[in-house]
Amino acid sequence: MADTLFLILSVLTVATALLVVVNKNAVNAAMFLLLSLVGMAGLFVLLDAPLLAFVLILVYAGAVVALFLFIIMLLDTTPGSFKAFKPMTITASALGAALLALGLWSLTARAVLPQAPASVPVPTMKNYAEQLFTTYLLPVQVVGFMLLIAMLGVIVLSKKFAVTEETK
Amino acid sequence: MLQHAILILLLPLASAVVIALFLRKQGAIASWLSTGVAGAIAAISIILLQHGERFESSVEWLRFGTFSVSLGIKYDDLAALMLFIVGFVGFLIHLFSLGYMHDDQARARFFGGLSIFMFSMIGIVLADNLFMIFIFWELVGFSSWLLINHYHEKQSAADASKKAFIVNRVGDFGFLLGIIMCYWANGTVNFTELGQNHVFSTAVPLLLFCGAMGKSAQMPLQVWLPDAMEGPTPVSALIHAATMVAAGIFMLCRINVLMVPQALEVIMWIGTVTAVYAALCAIVQRDIKKVLAYSTLSQLGYMVAAFGLGSIALEHGEHKMVIAAGVGAAMFHLTTHAFFKALMFLGSGSVIHGCHHEQDIFKMGGLRKKMPITFVTFSIGVLAIIGFPWLAGFFSKDAILYLAMEKNTAVFAVLAFTAVLTSFYMVRLWKITFLGEARSDEAKHAHESGLVMTLPLIILAVLSIFGATGWFGLGLYPKLAGSIAGLIPEAHGAAHTTILLVSLAVMTIGGGAALFFYKSAATDTLEEKFRFGFSMLTGLKESFDKVYDYYVAKVQQRFAMVLNFLEQIVLAGAIIRGLAGFAGLVGYGARAFYTGSLQAYAYWFLLGAALLWAYAAGIF
Amino acid sequence: MIPLLATAPAYGLPSYLFVSALLFAIGFFGVLLRKNTLVIYMCLELMLLASTLALVAFSKFNGTLDGNVFVFFILTIAAAEVAVGLAIIVALFRKRHTVQVEELNQLKH
Repeated sequence: MADTLFLILSVLTVATALLVVVNKNAVNAAMFLLLSLVGMAGLFVLLDAPLLAFVLILVYAGAVVALFLFIIMLLDTTPGSFKAFKPMTITASALGAALLALGLWSLTARAVLPQAPASVPVPTMKNYAEQLFTTYLLPVQVVGFMLLIAMLGVIVLSKKFAVTEETK
Repeated sequence: MLQHAILILLLPLASAVVIALFLRKQGAIASWLSTGVAGAIAAISIILLQHGERFESSVEWLRFGTFSVSLGIKYDDLAALMLFIVGFVGFLIHLFSLGYMHDDQARARFFGGLSIFMFSMIGIVLADNLFMIFIFWELVGFSSWLLINHYHEKQSAADASKKAFIVNRVGDFGFLLGIIMCYWANGTVNFTELGQNHVFSTAVPLLLFCGAMGKSAQMPLQVWLPDAMEGPTPVSALIHAATMVAAGIFMLCRINVLMVPQALEVIMWIGTVTAVYAALCAIVQRDIKKVLAYSTLSQLGYMVAAFGLGSIALEHGEHKMVIAAGVGAAMFHLTTHAFFKALMFLGSGSVIHGCHHEQDIFKMGGLRKKMPITFVTFSIGVLAIIGFPWLAGFFSKDAILYLAMEKNTAVFAVLAFTAVLTSFYMVRLWKITFLGEARSDEAKHAHESGLVMTLPLIILAVLSIFGATGWFGLGLYPKLAGSIAGLIPEAHGAAHTTILLVSLAVMTIGGGAALFFYKSAATDTLEEKFRFGFSMLTGLKESFDKVYDYYVAKVQQRFAMVLNFLEQIVLAGAIIRGLAGFAGLVGYGARAFYTGSLQAYAYWFLLGAALLWAYAAGIF
Repeated sequence: MIPLLATAPAYGLPSYLFVSALLFAIGFFGVLLRKNTLVIYMCLELMLLASTLALVAFSKFNGTLDGNVFVFFILTIAAAEVAVGLAIIVALFRKRHTVQVEELNQLKH
């Protein structure tokens, strides 16, 4: 059962990812990204991390992709601005990607990997919390700080410069 | 005693520095400072002489691996004698300059130059190794340039000083090669160590003699000395008569241990040829200082020839010993020459000063009555140089003639002939300048110089009389020279009589001929009577200069232009700018990477990742 | 494709890693291929996603929790990064009035 599920989900993820890349319309691409995320969440569930699956959907699909869609609709207004892909570009990019994949694959192929999942109980929220607030306390604080900075940065970046407005 | 020696070396340097930094405009104070220091040097040199201690000491200065240069002081009999000459004669000349340069605007520069010269000369005298001598050798050349160039507004003075320095430099090139070769062959340049152990070599002494050729104006580098008379008369007296030109002889005596018969032969003949050439040139000179300059050249030739004659074997009863008679005779003549030549130069300075800077002897005359002290002292100097019995020059010249007679008859003949010529031109000079009637306004209104100028003349006259041996033990030379005096070749028996007769003969023939031949007139009698001979002798002097001019203008300049071309095109152009251009090209190439396209950069990332992956995978 | 089609009972760690690698490669393909800045950014996010998958897979098969916790942080960072990045793109759009990457080449020599 798990095997078929894995097969379906992975095919879904990969296929939609491919569709993200080749789609002409940016909004369509964002939709396919969403589907890819769904597939990914499923894979997470298969890997005994349901919490992460939820968080993925909430944060990624819910916030990030939504933000993407907002910006696409804000900026990408000219419908006929898509130019066809040149064959040279396609080949070059495909080759580059294939090279990368090969590299990554060779790394894993030579590694000594555990064959079967370790027999430990499924982690619960409590385990996560334990880790987050003891071993990984410092990263948590840093990430919080970084979020603050990111917020500030976004506010500054999106401000229209008052100077240029007044001098006009 | 070592402190005394170091003090004697550093005092004139301090004086020069003080004058250069603080007393540029205060000529009077500068002159007193310099003269005071010169007096101190003379006093200390006498103290060191009296004390009788001989010592040596050195300190290492530079070291590169196994090669080291050290500075040191070697105070032996030779240095003691030379130090006395330099110090005492130098002091007298400083005293004379107080009067002679009294009205000069650039007095401070003059006395600063004199102080630097004293420093450099004492450095040569006290040096204990060849490198140190070379350093001070060059410094002396610099001081000479500075002092010849004193009247630098005159183009002739500037040219003369440059000529002196450059000709000296040519000699110094050979000198430096000799020093390097000596170090390479022997591993040391220290005189004492060389004395103990050295390698047989003909090239080393000959190359070192090149330095003496330059400094003591031997052929073919003698061209600078007559021109050096452009400097003020005290400078000519100190540097170009008594001390600096004698430095070459001194250096030769220092390296006497390195000499080999072949080198000595070359040295002897160069000295002889110089002596006779200069004497021939002196006969036709009009300028009083030029006559004395050629006379100096001739006497230096005598000294070098004496040195080149080398050693003789003496028999004392049962055993024979070989003494370095060349050194003895050369140093003896150096000492006496310093006394009477300085005397005559200062006397000529007094004459020039009295005649309001007139230097042509045919415009003088009748100064016997106008400048009595100068006349008497100058006459003593003339008598000394022509070898009048019992005066200083008599003994030293006899020593050289005896040595020549023993070793090489050809040289003896030439030197005897030169002695005739010496008497001839010196008496000519004396007669035309001092006897007869005054031939120009300046000479009519000439007046005797003040005490500060005549006192040195008197002292030097006394030294010219008593400065050698003889006078029943009153002669000063043995006290000054110590063991060097023992090296003087002394004739005994039949040889003694021969030499005595020869010297008297040359003196009378030469002196008498000049006395009767030359009239105290406004023109040169020789020019009138024997025009062809006169022009030949004048041409003798010009010939060397012409050859050098041709060489410099045609050969050397063209070679220099070729080198300049090479330097501009090849070095500066191709290599230096080429390298810079290459760097620029590399920069252009690197600029091409900045395409501005995001995806191009992504491809470069990929390439980098691939290289890292290949490295990690062990491909290279 | 071998790990995916194997009839072995379990799709082990290599399979998950293979999927992750494939996703990463597809994301990179998109970065190199597309001209629209926003789509390029989305492909970047794909790459990030691929790395999270790998992390969780390792975490599961090694029996530790570190990978999962790390994914938490990755998610946070990704969110912040997207926010700032998109703000930059908006500011850039205001200046240049385009999001085509070919026209954003002012850093050219």
